Amino acid sequence: MSASTSPIGCAGRVTAAGAIRPGRLGEVMVAIRGGVEAFLAKDADGGSIEPYEEIVVVEYEPPRTVIVTRLPSSEEL
Amino acid sequence: MGTAVVIVIAAVVVVPILLGLLFKVLWRVPAADEALIITGFGARRASPEGKVFRIVTGGGAMVLPILQKAQYLSLKADKAILEVEGVDQQKIPVGVRGVAIFKVGDDEQSITNAATRFLEGSNRGQMHDLVREVFHGHLRSIIGGLSVEDLIANRNELAQQTRDASNDEMQKLGLVVDSMQIQEIIDPTGYIKALGEPRAAEVKKQARIAQALADREATEREQEAEALKAQARRNSQIKQAEYQADIDRQAAISAQSGPLADAEARKSVVVQETAVANLVAEREEKRLDSSVRKPADAEAYRKRVEAEGERAARIELAEASKREVELKAEAAARQTELQAAANARQVELAAAAESKRIEQVGVAEATATEATGRADGEAIRARGTAEADAIARRAEALAAESEAVIAQQVAEKLPEIVAAAAGAFNNVDSMTVLNGAQGVTEVMNQLIAQAGPALDLARGTFRNGHGNGGGGPVEAAGKATEREGSGS
Repeated sequence: MSASTSPIGCAGRVTAAGAIRPGRLGEVMVAIRGGVEAFLAKDADGGSIEPYEEIVVVEYEPPRTVIVTRLPSSEEL
Repeated sequence: MGTAVVIVIAAVVVVPILLGLLFKVLWRVPAADEALIITGFGARRASPEGKVFRIVTGGGAMVLPILQKAQYLSLKADKAILEVEGVDQQKIPVGVRGVAIFKVGDDEQSITNAATRFLEGSNRGQMHDLVREVFHGHLRSIIGGLSVEDLIANRNELAQQTRDASNDEMQKLGLVVDSMQIQEIIDPTGYIKALGEPRAAEVKKQARIAQALADREATEREQEAEALKAQARRNSQIKQAEYQADIDRQAAISAQSGPLADAEARKSVVVQETAVANLVAEREEKRLDSSVRKPADAEAYRKRVEAEGERAARIELAEASKREVELKAEAAARQTELQAAANARQVELAAAAESKRIEQVGVAEATATEATGRADGEAIRARGTAEADAIARRAEALAAESEAVIAQQVAEKLPEIVAAAAGAFNNVDSMTVLNGAQGVTEVMNQLIAQAGPALDLARGTFRNGHGNGGGGPVEAAGKATEREGSGS
């Protein structure tokens, strides 16, 4: 619960205005430290992630940027 | 002893209080929106990454007076009012008034960055200014990268541009942009207004059209309703008038029934009187018919028959005298011829006196011849005269006798003939003659005229019956009479 908690492994979703595009920063909301924080986000594979899609943080670039990947939806599993 | 006890009790009571007070002074607890930054003794050692200060969030920490220094960094969100004038992507001058809401990031790195910049006590005002300055610049570039339309409507693009533009610098300051809003777009050139004009005009037009249509429709409906009302009123009035007319008519009829019955009665009386008058007139007419017209007709018929008989007699007489004249002329001619011959013989004898013998013979022969001729002429003349007289007398007698017989027979049959002719009227109840007594006379004349040929036929039959025994002249005279009768 301290400020040093890493967001890696945290799940979240892409914000409405924060679609991730190749070469551009998106925005994700990630559940962390008991709350929800917004992080700037890049796709781990360099692809696109549409708004509202579920993501998981796989890497952390301090202070506010995370590398995320799309969580496969239940149908795709 | 008492004193010692007091001291002990005091120590027991006071020492924990003192210890508590000390702990209270030494133990620092940051609020939920604060981070405690501890610098000084031991702070460097506590951080594994060689940080120069300790950051405490959520929990608490002992702060040694003099050796350490503890300061709070607010993690509260703050806002910076932004007013920027710039040009958009299409170089249209545009002013933007917006607000950026930011806070210090919750992670350690952000707090560290922020702590090194803004920690000086009550330095929130400085942070404010800094952020605003940074955002002014960024916002200007963001406007330059967007069109006015995007500024108004495209929030995604605005957020993206904001991230792209301010990302690194915010991270340097340890800040997180929670929200960036454009509150107002100042439009000095009227571009936005002009942008909206066509649509506004269109909408206004549609609104006016709709209003006009609705108005028209409403008026139409109103007028239709008015027309229907008027129609209903008219129908009602017509019905009322009809009923009133019925009432009036019935009233008039009932009012007239008295006089009408009166008139009917009078009419019946007049009809009966008319019938009586007709009967009287008929009787009078019949009476006149039998007393005046029929005698007159019989008289006329009698006169005509008499006239015809007279005319036939005159014709016979004339023919007889014509024959007499002819015979006389013939006789005179013969006489003249004989005289001429005698004169010639005389002249011849006188001329031949030269010769005596011849003269004697001639004289004797002439005398003899003369005597013979004279005797012959006399005889002939006497016989012709006698014959003519006899014929004339016999013709006259025959004509008179036959006409008298015919007239007598016809007169005997006349009532039956006329009765038969008038019998056609026995089947006629009442004869209406349009031109009065003259008309009746005409009808009767026609009847008589129809009876005329019958009479002629009858007379011809009678005559033929008589003529069968008589001579040729009588028959010829009868035929002449018949020709004139059919010619009349």
